Amino acid sequence: MVKISVLQHSPSVHLPSRPGDPTPTSRNLDPLMHPFARARERTRALNAAKMDRLFAKPFVGSLEGHIDAVEVLCKKPGTLSTVASGSWDGGIMLHNLAERKQLHRIQGAHKGKVSGLCFGDGDRLLSCGVDSDIKLWNVAPQTETSDQRPLNVFPGKSPFNSIDHHRSDPLFATASNIVQIWDETKSAAVSNLTFPTSTETVTSVRFNLSETSVLGSIGSDRTFTLYDIRTGKAERRVIMQMRSNALSWSPTFPTSVLLASEDHNLYTFDVRQLSSPTQIYKAHVAAVTSCDWSPTGLEFVSGGWDRTVRIWKEGQGTGPEVYHTKRMQRVSSTIFSADARFVLTGSDDGNVRIWKAKASEKLGIVTARERAAIEYRDTLKERWKWDSEVGKISRTRHLPKPVHQAAKLKRTMLDARSVKEERRRKHTRAGESKPKAERKKVVIAEQS
Amino acid sequence: MDSLFAKAEAIQPLEKKRKGSGGAPNKKSHKPNKPAPPSDRILTSVAQHTALPKSLRPTSPTPENVSKHTHIKDLKLRTQLTRQATHAARSKALLQDAELLLTDEVGKIQAENDMERTWRIGQDEVVQGAGQEAAKGRQEWKLDGGPYRSRYTRNGRHLAIVGNMGHVATFDWQTGSMHAELQLQETCRDITFLHDHSHFAVAQKKYVFIYDRDGVELHRLKSHIESTRLEFLPYHWLLASVGNSGYLKYQDTSTGQLVAEHRTKLGACHTMTQNRHNAVIHLGHQSGVVTLWTPNLPHPAVQLLAHLGPVVGVSVDPSTGGRYMATSGQDGIVKVWDCRNWKGAIREWSTRGGGAELEWSAKGSLAVATGGSVNVYTRPTIQSPFSAKVAPPLYLTHPIPHRPLTSVRFCPFQDILTIGHNAGLSSILVPGSGEPNFDSAEADPFENKKARREREVKGLLDKIQPDMIALDPDFVGSLAPPLKLTTAVNDKVDIPFAHLPRLERLRLQGKADESEIMDGDDADGSGDGEDGSNGKKQSREEREKRKMRGKGKSLKRYLRKQRKNVIDPTAVSIRAKLEKQKEEKRVARAIEKGEMEPRKPSALDRFRRS
Repeated sequence: MVKISVLQHSPSVHLPSRPGDPTPTSRNLDPLMHPFARARERTRALNAAKMDRLFAKPFVGSLEGHIDAVEVLCKKPGTLSTVASGSWDGGIMLHNLAERKQLHRIQGAHKGKVSGLCFGDGDRLLSCGVDSDIKLWNVAPQTETSDQRPLNVFPGKSPFNSIDHHRSDPLFATASNIVQIWDETKSAAVSNLTFPTSTETVTSVRFNLSETSVLGSIGSDRTFTLYDIRTGKAERRVIMQMRSNALSWSPTFPTSVLLASEDHNLYTFDVRQLSSPTQIYKAHVAAVTSCDWSPTGLEFVSGGWDRTVRIWKEGQGTGPEVYHTKRMQRVSSTIFSADARFVLTGSDDGNVRIWKAKASEKLGIVTARERAAIEYRDTLKERWKWDSEVGKISRTRHLPKPVHQAAKLKRTMLDARSVKEERRRKHTRAGESKPKAERKKVVIAEQS
Repeated sequence: MDSLFAKAEAIQPLEKKRKGSGGAPNKKSHKPNKPAPPSDRILTSVAQHTALPKSLRPTSPTPENVSKHTHIKDLKLRTQLTRQATHAARSKALLQDAELLLTDEVGKIQAENDMERTWRIGQDEVVQGAGQEAAKGRQEWKLDGGPYRSRYTRNGRHLAIVGNMGHVATFDWQTGSMHAELQLQETCRDITFLHDHSHFAVAQKKYVFIYDRDGVELHRLKSHIESTRLEFLPYHWLLASVGNSGYLKYQDTSTGQLVAEHRTKLGACHTMTQNRHNAVIHLGHQSGVVTLWTPNLPHPAVQLLAHLGPVVGVSVDPSTGGRYMATSGQDGIVKVWDCRNWKGAIREWSTRGGGAELEWSAKGSLAVATGGSVNVYTRPTIQSPFSAKVAPPLYLTHPIPHRPLTSVRFCPFQDILTIGHNAGLSSILVPGSGEPNFDSAEADPFENKKARREREVKGLLDKIQPDMIALDPDFVGSLAPPLKLTTAVNDKVDIPFAHLPRLERLRLQGKADESEIMDGDDADGSGDGEDGSNGKKQSREEREKRKMRGKGKSLKRYLRKQRKNVIDPTAVSIRAKLEKQKEEKRVARAIEKGEMEPRKPSALDRFRRS
């Protein structure tokens, strides 16, 4: 007698047991059951890339109120929403990012522009200006806005360019023609730090965030200098090809420092090895005027003279995210918000703009299913980025015409230069002139 | 920088100094001494109900023998490659685990001893042995207006039938609920469901019409004239039709565009099938030719003379990823072909009763409906090469007296074979023919309305472009194959093969005879038995035969004719010249072997005597 068994599906297994229950699903991962799996995945990746560009609306809002160009922005340590901005008209404003409104406004805080801002401990704000004064303000929310007197004034001898507060101690550093360390409780500078042979104007000074007694400064004579307040000396200095406009210490990697240079590039240096930068970041088509690390240390933002804001991934020297609007002028200051989700830019048109750090991110509550779908789409984009179509869609950015033209011109010029170099090398004796790595060209001299 | 950590006069804030010197305890110093709460109850309560992001989830231990890519220097690249390899290995292991979870089992007929034959078992016996639910599959539909053709949806739940005289019906055969029944009053040649049971297309007397589930006519496809066969490519949303005019037409059912229109030049066509794994359309023609078509090629991708007479049935095996094709001719011969190479049929046999309808099931059973019966053959005998022209062992047979048998269709995910014939349709049970485990993400017989809608939207989003159809479906996302015959002579410039000089072409094909060059060198040089870069020893005759004739030999002949004891200035100079050439060749060979350094060119070379 033969055994016969015929396939049958029992409805009790495959249908919901009670009305309202979810329908049971079953899986069979046999590849024969899933024809065209790759082609369909590619289609999904293509759609994901398109959707990503479709929903890329990075501009969140702008904080108005300044009469003149915004020179400096700073975030309050320990808070997510408080940000101060200083302007060329000498006014200082305190903004609440979450509500997008102004918390505090000090008009005429300085004569001339406010060149530096930083928060001290508590609700105290330090500002410095080109009127050679440092002022300490109380910006606690209870105080009346009509009270516009500083708590303390520290008179200096020459116009200040930058100010930065020590991470934990009540010390702050200023940059004028020298770097000075001040104590909040003393009216005169505690110490002066300068490199022995320096005659520069120091444009910016920043304390390291974990090695808190180390500070770095950049100057108009194309230098980047490291100081230590424990030794009270300048420790090391590098002279570069072009001057830097801004510097920022990495919050997660203490030896890493980011410099925004006049030669359209950004450089990250390892301070243990200053002879060459660890990475060159090339995309701006004019001088980079400001930069700031994300609190995660994986990204940073830069703003430039070319009226664009770019968001870079650490270690990835090309292809940054680029933001621009019709009305935004030269970007003079940029910061990342403390939750790494937003980017703030202050520009010559007097507005502080809030942008999303990821252009197509959805603001508001994201459900678990939505989150899973977003993660899946991200993975798809990553996986298929080598596909010509998918990669092209996710790489391409629209740029304003002047920026695009400038980039084209720049590329032509650089190409011509490299061709010339190549020809020159071809017509010299073999092995006599060797091509020099781009990284090696940056630093001219290293002094200590 | 080391000096940073040297103890030096440190600048300290005044307050701090005072605190240190005073040593007075203040409120802040107490705080760290407080013991922290043993566990954060709020945190743990939330953790149970929230999903961790994928990146933070604990992963299973790394699978063994994943390649570490140690040969790659770049640390970043190496890490990335290792991660990818780990991921691939892990998912492969998970895939093996997932196979254990498949619940349903394939049906079968198992003979207990050698004397029993499965084909002796009739349908009554099979039905008795089948379960109550499975026995419902055995049905007879007695209908007028035949012969009938039928088509199942991809999930096997719904059946569409069409009679030659114009009777069209679609229904859920499990519950027996009718969706639409039409009397079209004209010749209808074929029917197919579109992406699911909500639409179906009928090839009618002149045009192809699309109806919705309720039988309302939605579209008249005026470009498809006198179609005889219809196929729907579900992942590309293409409706393909071929007709009496011999045109193969592809219509995109999501956008309505006519994607491609191919003139077969082979006359009226009555046989069409699709390969489900690469969406290639197989056509069988009156001349005995079988052609394979894709929308992006104006000519067939493959053309094959399969039969000496009209082709009647074509089917592609879905159980092996479209590797085998079966064809049947009007003369009753059935052939099984390997689609990887078309060098003759793997197996062929002849059947009685003329042209046979063919259909291959998901588990690899081949149904052959010919004359007054339908025969089912199974794997692996049907796919193994066999030179004798005898029929493979029969698995199951079922006589149907209502000739002609015009269509055979296996029901997906069931052990059911539906045969269309002159008096309607009959379904028989073929144990072991259906895939037991379905995937809800692809086709689910038990899906509800919401799931169907969801699948429709997802399917539209994942629609593959028609020009991505190719014989190899895995070409998407794979590296471009290296060009074989366009390699460069020097590695810099890539010259197409056709533009290369003849010798280079021969060399690339491996046909160039390069022995004579070596031979000539040897004759000048050492001249002993060892020769050739290949290291092959050639016989003296062969060497003599291949010896280069007529080139550069006159000098030698001249010297040979000179007498040794006569010092002639011409002969001396010629001898010196030959010596010099020999020396040069020796040097060149030494440089090639790496024994000598090539001389560096210098500016003074111009003053050298050559």
